[in-house]
Amino acid sequence: MIAILQWTTLALCCVVTLVRVPSVLRGENRSLFWIFALMTVAILLSIDAPYLAVDQVLGGMNFANLVLRFVIFGGIFFLGIRLARGFSACDALKLITGPIGIAIAAAASIAVVAVFLMMDTAGSSAGLVAVFAKDGHNAALVEYYGAAGRLYPAFITAALFPAMLRTLRSGLPALVRSSAALLALGTVAICLSLLSPVIPSSLGFMKFVFNYSAVLCLVLGLSLIWLAKSLAKRAPKKQAGMA
Amino acid sequence: MPLPAKAFQLWLHRVAPSASTADLCRISGIKRTTFAQQLVRGKVAETTLVSISRALGLSPLAELASFDHYVELAAPPQPPTPAELVSQVATMDLLRAVISRSSPAYGGYGDQGSSMTPALSPAPHATSVRNWVDAIDDGELRHRVSAATGVAPQNYSAQLTANRLSPELAVATARAAGVGFTGGLVATGLITEAEAGWTPGAKQAALDALSDGELSSLAGERLQALGKSLRRHEQEQAQTEKIWENLG
Repeated sequence: MIAILQWTTLALCCVVTLVRVPSVLRGENRSLFWIFALMTVAILLSIDAPYLAVDQVLGGMNFANLVLRFVIFGGIFFLGIRLARGFSACDALKLITGPIGIAIAAAASIAVVAVFLMMDTAGSSAGLVAVFAKDGHNAALVEYYGAAGRLYPAFITAALFPAMLRTLRSGLPALVRSSAALLALGTVAICLSLLSPVIPSSLGFMKFVFNYSAVLCLVLGLSLIWLAKSLAKRAPKKQAGMA
Repeated sequence: MPLPAKAFQLWLHRVAPSASTADLCRISGIKRTTFAQQLVRGKVAETTLVSISRALGLSPLAELASFDHYVELAAPPQPPTPAELVSQVATMDLLRAVISRSSPAYGGYGDQGSSMTPALSPAPHATSVRNWVDAIDDGELRHRVSAATGVAPQNYSAQLTANRLSPELAVATARAAGVGFTGGLVATGLITEAEAGWTPGAKQAALDALSDGELSSLAGERLQALGKSLRRHEQEQAQTEKIWENLG
């Protein structure tokens, strides 16, 4: 079940990234392509087999996991800016690119690196499962590491949350509103995933559900906007004129 | 509330005992899947009944009145008030009337109801539902309708904004306002003015009876509302363009 969710997410990200290639060649919204590409890399690195392969190349010290965190940070930062501009959320844009946003990005980065260095990270393991199993000390550190890594994405999406709700309640086209709904749902999932350290192990599968549904919602939401645009371009414009 | 399928089947049996479903759909122009779905769900839309009545050469109003929900429609129809009639004049026709009454220097004829003025377009028009409710509203109408039907005021307003009103609510609104039942059914486009028993020149006569001052302020209100809705539409369009530009 979890494997299905993982590979579905990866496949979807891949497809969306590839679908954007023609747009990139035309020079439209190049940064979106990179956002999707970064997301694809992030998903790839969170699945066992590809993670192990990459980490072996990087020395088997789980540096791939650290790379994964910064890939997510970068992707989510550009995504946040794009979304804030698109949805005319000046407040969110100011929050993300202003001193508060930079401070949170710096704090999250430092926390991730610091906790990573404190852990005994020898032995490749996707999601640091093996490190978690070493002893109580490392287990606690892995939880903090995960929380620090989710802090920044949660901040960015939470900053955009009001704009999503505004769009949802507006009179914009249905596809655009559904995409806002998906993005808002993704935000909720990311924020819930912050709770990972306190989720009891019996509900451990919920962590995966939160993580992957967050990415799925974000990617689907973004593709819906693209779909709406393509459809609107093809269909003749319906104008509420002075009839 | 739509018509119960059971009562509808009985009605069908009475008015067209030998017609098959396929025949009915063909003569009335209803999609077969839509028709079948309404029967299966047990709720038949009033528009279905109206289409079939028209196709069979029956009066939609009288046939609608044969159902329990709409039994009030059977009474001799109370004619629409002048305000209701004017509310069913399209905004562009109102503006044309303003110009018609102006002096020839501005393209008018200096009188009213000139034979040169084109005929009014038939109801319903783009904002006919809201204009009808505004025409019969004494300020408390929406609350009374909401209390009588249990429909939340914001849902009611949303229907008006979308220029829609379910036939049941249209009748309830007319009842709450104490006006004839046909006004709402015409404004929502369920039945035509002729089917409602309105005399052919009634709308034009009501329009002609407006003084220049009344006509001008009414046209002004309509223009203001039109401007507001067009501006909102333009803003939404601009917002959508921005989203596509950044994320498409």
